[in-house]
Amino acid sequence: MIIAERKPFAEIKAMLAPYKKILIVGCGTCVAVCLAGGEKEVGLLASQLRLALGLEDKRLEIGEITVERQCDLEFLRPLCDFTADYDAIVSMACGAGVQFLNQLCSLHPVFPAVNTSFIGVNNAVGHYTEACRACHHCYLGITGGICPVTMCPKGLLNGPCGGTLNGHCEVDPEKDCAWSRIYHRLELEGRLDNIKEILPLHPHDRTTTPGTVIHPAYKRRYGPHE
Amino acid sequence: MSKLRETLEAGAFPVVVELKPPKGAAVEAMLAAVKSLAGRVTAFSIPDNEHAKMRLSAIAAARLVQETGGEALVHVTCRDRNRLALESDLLGAAVLGLENLLLVSGDYVTLGDHPQAKPVYDADSVQLLQIAAGLMDGHDSAGLALKGSPAFFLGAVVIPEAEPLSPQLLKFEKKLAAGAQFFITPPVFDLDKLRRFREHLPETPVKLLASVKVLGADEVAQAAAGPWRKVYSLPPELVHDLAGKEPEDILALGVEAAGRLVKAIRQEKLADGIYLKAKGRADLFTRILEGF
Repeated sequence: MIIAERKPFAEIKAMLAPYKKILIVGCGTCVAVCLAGGEKEVGLLASQLRLALGLEDKRLEIGEITVERQCDLEFLRPLCDFTADYDAIVSMACGAGVQFLNQLCSLHPVFPAVNTSFIGVNNAVGHYTEACRACHHCYLGITGGICPVTMCPKGLLNGPCGGTLNGHCEVDPEKDCAWSRIYHRLELEGRLDNIKEILPLHPHDRTTTPGTVIHPAYKRRYGPHE
Repeated sequence: MSKLRETLEAGAFPVVVELKPPKGAAVEAMLAAVKSLAGRVTAFSIPDNEHAKMRLSAIAAARLVQETGGEALVHVTCRDRNRLALESDLLGAAVLGLENLLLVSGDYVTLGDHPQAKPVYDADSVQLLQIAAGLMDGHDSAGLALKGSPAFFLGAVVIPEAEPLSPQLLKFEKKLAAGAQFFITPPVFDLDKLRRFREHLPETPVKLLASVKVLGADEVAQAAAGPWRKVYSLPPELVHDLAGKEPEDILALGVEAAGRLVKAIRQEKLADGIYLKAKGRADLFTRILEGF
């Protein structure tokens, strides 16, 4: 899932200073799980704003709503009519949701309330770690299910760097060296031959942004037309 | 053919000393070291933004070293350039007369003095060796033909004390397969570790330069204070002997220890040559060189 962190309150408050009536839109999927932008966090942000502005004798009218997924038109479209009465919209979704909302509600400024961090996993409540760089070229089948692109800060494809120490990473000694993990996993599985050949340079052409994926079944509908 | 290659292939125990390109444009001190040592060392090694700390371009510094009468061994790191820049810089190095290369992945940016810089690592050190070998064969990494191929002597790093060792040996073998012609170790203080590592070397003869380093007071204090986070170990008795001494006394004792290590490495044929690290200081190098 997408992991995000809420922006500092002062930054959000400053962005909203010119407006009198705002709508805070939460997202009920990834950012709700990582406690950054779900329904509960929408309520918290609204309360914080009311309290802070109240102390300054300022008035801000705040609407609150949370949709299932801001990255999905099906859930976002019904919101459009609802936004007309507001001066500005605050999205608590990841960057994808913010931009999709911005695209649909073109008459209002849309502000992000979170910083999108990475694609990661939920280790335990409140503890998330990055697990995928969305590189378009998955190596997990040959690297024992451990991603060298993500788990090695240098993204090295052909073994550990010279800085690895006692199986730990040069960059963060608290973390395991990805290549030590890959090696030992493949050794356990009897698949070390997988990594004996030199992997070629990574094909970065697919990582040119913004990426597009069209499901094969929909190529005729969305693909290039002759 | 470079003097370094010639000396290694002749089994004549080359001596490489590592210089420090300046953080700035003042090259006089670096070049003074070259002038005073040129007749006594085989090559001057020029790190490329060592430890991810920004310094004068290694290729520019290496060219100046050669203009001053020394032979250069220039490092090229994958950290700061994508494949286009790596390839064009390698060609640039070649036309400037730089033949000896040490191709490395490079310390990560957050460990250096520009921690917010974007790390590149478009290639890793194995792939960079392949790229350089490809250029020598007359093509770039996209398979396109070159007009005129460079001549290089390709070096790589190997970590004899790596723990665990097996993944490092895998990388070592890949570097060999990718075209590495010689290897340089991190500093060696414990010869037993180097002896044990040699048992893992493949049948094919590999040219190995062992690094010998003169520790500074900062490093001694760090080793004495707590966990030593380097890819080479320091014998506890060495740290005990040096800790608390005056910085110049630490360097003087380090110079003596370096002389002894070089002698032992040479006598026991633990390496084919030596790579000296002594803060880039000509006076320290001179004193070590006088010792063997």
